[in-house]
Amino acid sequence: MNPIACASGVDLLMDFLEGVLPAELTAALEHHVAGCPRCAAFVASYQATPRILRDATAVALPPEVETSLKAFLSARTTAFKESKPS
Amino acid sequence: MSTSVPAAEPSDEILAARAAAGDDAAFEAIVRRYQARVYRLACRLTSDTEAPDVLQDTFLQVYGHLSSFRGDSLFSTWLYRIATNAGLMYRRTRARRPAESLDAYLPRFDDDGRHVGTPAELQVASNADDLLDRQFLASQARAAIEKLPDLYREAFVLRDLEEMSTAYVADALGIEPATVRQRVHRARLMVRGYLSELVGVKP
Repeated sequence: MNPIACASGVDLLMDFLEGVLPAELTAALEHHVAGCPRCAAFVASYQATPRILRDATAVALPPEVETSLKAFLSARTTAFKESKPS
Repeated sequence: MSTSVPAAEPSDEILAARAAAGDDAAFEAIVRRYQARVYRLACRLTSDTEAPDVLQDTFLQVYGHLSSFRGDSLFSTWLYRIATNAGLMYRRTRARRPAESLDAYLPRFDDDGRHVGTPAELQVASNADDLLDRQFLASQARAAIEKLPDLYREAFVLRDLEEMSTAYVADALGIEPATVRQRVHRARLMVRGYLSELVGVKP
């Protein structure tokens, strides 16, 4: 089994979490993280990052944007229909 | 005793067929169903100021192409693809800004390849949402995404924020799945480091 250091382990994280890392490297990475509190902590923050960003950027549709979308589509779809031969 | 059972909402595909046949109410129902999701995607891919244009462009394209929807995929997938392309187009036609080095946000290692930080320091980004004011975090999250190089940003937004599959993102961006994973990985390292700095810890 190839020994893994923290730096080389970090490079493998995405493939590991997506399940596409070869079995030998998966075993080596799991072995390293199990014995390395720093890597365990790093992996936790690496995995938490998407959720934190997802929650922080989950904006709601502003009412004024919804109103202008409705007006825009009403005008454009009407024009679209009028331009088509009946 | 008679009870009225509320009618089930028509499926996307039924609404799409009605809208394609000229039923405006069906098209409006599609818009109501998806406008919030498309707006959120547009904000993440572009910006608050560009998102309303992306939103309008998306539904105009959906309207214009309804008759070409063949049902080979879910209607939601088809619509989302149009929205993704509209957002990417806006982003790519914008004047390119000089790339900013984000190396300062990458994890640091000693000469033996070991993490420099302590476990507590390395984990602190996980708690950024507990430690930071919500509005401050929201504005900083947008800033962090905006700082990412465009190629990383696209992959990160679609894969990690919109939670699309790697295969879908690869198809949408016209790149290999391995390249998606590589870009998302780099973006995630940078954003993670950015969160660490926000709570006062070097990545």
